[in-house]
Amino acid sequence: MSMTREQIRDYVLTYLEATECQFLEKSPHHVTVKLSPRADRDLTNRPYYWGFIERTGAEPETMSFSFVFDPEALQAAEAAKAAQDNPSLGPQQQMEAAQEDTLLGRYFGAVRPLPVLGPGRIQREELAFGSPRLKQIFEAARRGGRYVYLFEEPGQRQRMALLPAAYEPWLGVCFKVEFCCDMKREELHFYGVSLLTGAVDESFQTRIAAKPLVPRLPENVHIEPTQLSLDAARTALEQRLAERIAAYDDTWAQEARERLNDELALIDAYYKDLVKDPEPERAQGASEQYESRRDEIRWQYEPRIVVSALGCGIFHLRSPR
Amino acid sequence: MNPHPPGPFSDPAALPDLPTAVPVEFDRSWFNDLETRHEKGGPWDDWKLFNLALEAETASLVTSFEEMQCLKHLQSVTPLPHQTETARKVLFEMRGRAILADEVGLGKTIEAGLILKEYIVRGLVKKALILVPASLVLQWVRELNQKFGIPAVAQKKEHSWHNDVVVASMDTAKRDPHKNILLSNEYDLVIVDEAHKLKNKKTTNYQFMLQLRKKYCLLLTATPVQNDLGELFNLITLLKPGQLGGQSEFAANFVVDKRLPKNEGQLKDELAKVMIRNRRGDGELEFTKRIVRNIDVELSQEEKNLYDGVTSFIKDQYNAAGGDLNSMLSLVTLQREVCSSRDAVFVTLVNLSKKLAPDSPIRDRIWDLVDLIRQIKANSKAEKAMELIREMNDKVIVFTEYRATQEYLLKYFRDRGMTAVPYRGGMNRGKKDWMMDLFRGRAQVMIATEAGGEGINLQFCHQMINFDLPWNPMRVEQRIGRVHRLGQTNDVNIYNLSTKGTIEEHILHLLHEKINMFEMVIGHLDVILERFEKQHSLEKSIYQIILESGSDEEIASRVDSLGHEFHTIKSELDAEAEGNENEGGLQQLLGG
Repeated sequence: MSMTREQIRDYVLTYLEATECQFLEKSPHHVTVKLSPRADRDLTNRPYYWGFIERTGAEPETMSFSFVFDPEALQAAEAAKAAQDNPSLGPQQQMEAAQEDTLLGRYFGAVRPLPVLGPGRIQREELAFGSPRLKQIFEAARRGGRYVYLFEEPGQRQRMALLPAAYEPWLGVCFKVEFCCDMKREELHFYGVSLLTGAVDESFQTRIAAKPLVPRLPENVHIEPTQLSLDAARTALEQRLAERIAAYDDTWAQEARERLNDELALIDAYYKDLVKDPEPERAQGASEQYESRRDEIRWQYEPRIVVSALGCGIFHLRSPR
Repeated sequence: MNPHPPGPFSDPAALPDLPTAVPVEFDRSWFNDLETRHEKGGPWDDWKLFNLALEAETASLVTSFEEMQCLKHLQSVTPLPHQTETARKVLFEMRGRAILADEVGLGKTIEAGLILKEYIVRGLVKKALILVPASLVLQWVRELNQKFGIPAVAQKKEHSWHNDVVVASMDTAKRDPHKNILLSNEYDLVIVDEAHKLKNKKTTNYQFMLQLRKKYCLLLTATPVQNDLGELFNLITLLKPGQLGGQSEFAANFVVDKRLPKNEGQLKDELAKVMIRNRRGDGELEFTKRIVRNIDVELSQEEKNLYDGVTSFIKDQYNAAGGDLNSMLSLVTLQREVCSSRDAVFVTLVNLSKKLAPDSPIRDRIWDLVDLIRQIKANSKAEKAMELIREMNDKVIVFTEYRATQEYLLKYFRDRGMTAVPYRGGMNRGKKDWMMDLFRGRAQVMIATEAGGEGINLQFCHQMINFDLPWNPMRVEQRIGRVHRLGQTNDVNIYNLSTKGTIEEHILHLLHEKINMFEMVIGHLDVILERFEKQHSLEKSIYQIILESGSDEEIASRVDSLGHEFHTIKSELDAEAEGNENEGGLQQLLGG
């Protein structure tokens, strides 16, 4: 899977908004922002600077960035704008003139060789799928969005209603399942279990998708007491997931085991004489090597399934009753 | 992300009442965090970020075992079809343990980068170690960073080893204290460039690699087997011990003589399971032609005088030194420089006189030579080069061996209204890149003193002038390789300037007509040279000829016999390559 330019743009804008960055400039092709302290910590990799700010209580100076989503379109737009400002030159000539100045000028020493450093500088970066900066933003989102505690927004009418709305607490967990051998495949499963009834919903994401969720307890709602401990809820979810995985076609694992056994057989054949070397020292060395080769091969091929949680939370949803 | 497989009994998380064939391991660290926060009433994360995390994970999810993911993560490199195909094979057929044995210049680094990237994207490799010759460390770091967006780090200090992807030189890695650190670690992927240095079992390199713990492993070499089938066996034993059987079975099944394999078909099949060798001329990997033109330059009387003066000076010194070649090396340089420019000779002469005692008689001789230099008013070669460049009216790279000549030419061209940019080994990376940009964009001419090493890839230029010739054929080949490489779409014109009636004429004759190196298939030269230099150094042989020959005819005939020797080796290799249908040879084994 991947992301389109538009998806990347939406994604980054959402992140910048969520972390309360200050937008300086925005176009369909780029965005210029002054980072919030939080985003600065996430993205600029300056732990010493932030350590200093924390110790001294000084006012932090966050960095600014221009994130470019569509470099060609942005360049075209800029050239068009420049042409408008200075109609005597065509865009082509103008670009050439600018380039000539900086390139040859730098060589002959007329232009200073380095871009502006220090405060006030706006670093420009292209964000494409796979670029390190985008990965960093992904990572920041993962770190900053793991545990939530939310309530369904009941809407205006509930506030006026006579009776409080009944709310049912759920444990929702987004599991990541990794099928590993020497290769790997992954799946995501967002399961939820009602802490009231113990019912498991395998498409919990769909259940909450259309609901507006807020972090504060809304007025005039009644949370029903939980019947299920978190521990029991977790077990229920894991059990259901394990059942599902068990029903999967495991050809991939059988094939990986075959490969593993073939490789082990080769190693056995190679070392079978070496470990019987009449010289004890050499035999010892060979058998150490033999063991470590076997370990490596098992490490490489042995099929296994690892389940971790991407994120989880307690969701209070309006009871259907 | 991809831990060791759990041992048979160390799997408390597996649910006992659901006996699945594959162990399922539940990572429950999330649960403790959740409970703690629940008890304390927070802190809770932002719902928007939660959704972003989910979206990121969905977009980066590896949905299939067998579909290359890395290409959509790469913006700064477009791999060629054979490179992608090689990466695919290594990943999905060879399962991450392979010898990448492409011929020189086909992009083994790109292939290795693709494989590393794919494993990183899939979360199968976190810690990777890349061992390369010291001179290539920075180049690897740069390529991985820029082309593949892999945060590789060059090993500088002991703590560098803590990084996830480290590039280091083999010589550093195998020494203490580094060795101990590396051997106590384990690596998801180890890449070794120039892996033919691992062909001997007894070397410390080999022993070190044997001990290193690794999950996947790539060995890169253009010459997986040079002299001995045993080398190949050793390389493969590092990757997959037993692939060719034990040592004795291998010898019995596949070896007639160390250079002569048997059961070749079977051996080839076995090799194909661990080794990929792309060769020029396979499918789309056809190279454009090299068109060579030798241009004789007639020296002016003054230049001729200087040449003769230098020659007799050197010979006298040689005789005075009793024919000791090693003490003469710096003097012989003079002879080479005099074919290039008076500036180059001058610099060397001045340096030479500085080293002499104030009352040395040689000083006078040197000043006589300097007088001869003063007489020279024009540089015939520079005039010829200028004329050529004007005629071409195209981008051209001019190679010279000497800094002084480079400076002279820069000024000479500038005075005549032609923009030229310099390029030399001593420039730092940024300046080199910038010179390349200038050459690509603005300047018609680049004047380079350095051809070897890395970085100058000039596919956009297909004219080159050898202003003077290195006496080492590998250096000539490196020069050509800058321009004549994968991605060059035009035939490449090579102009060799040679001064008439000088040693240069003989060298050119040797390189061009005898060795035929300008048109030779790339990649073969190093093999021939290696075998040739087992007996004696080519450069030194040429020195000797110059110093000892009495007449021009003698030089010619001795250069000829050198050429014959070269030729013999080449035919030997060709014979081995073509082989006999029944017997075969090493080269054929590699698909030659």
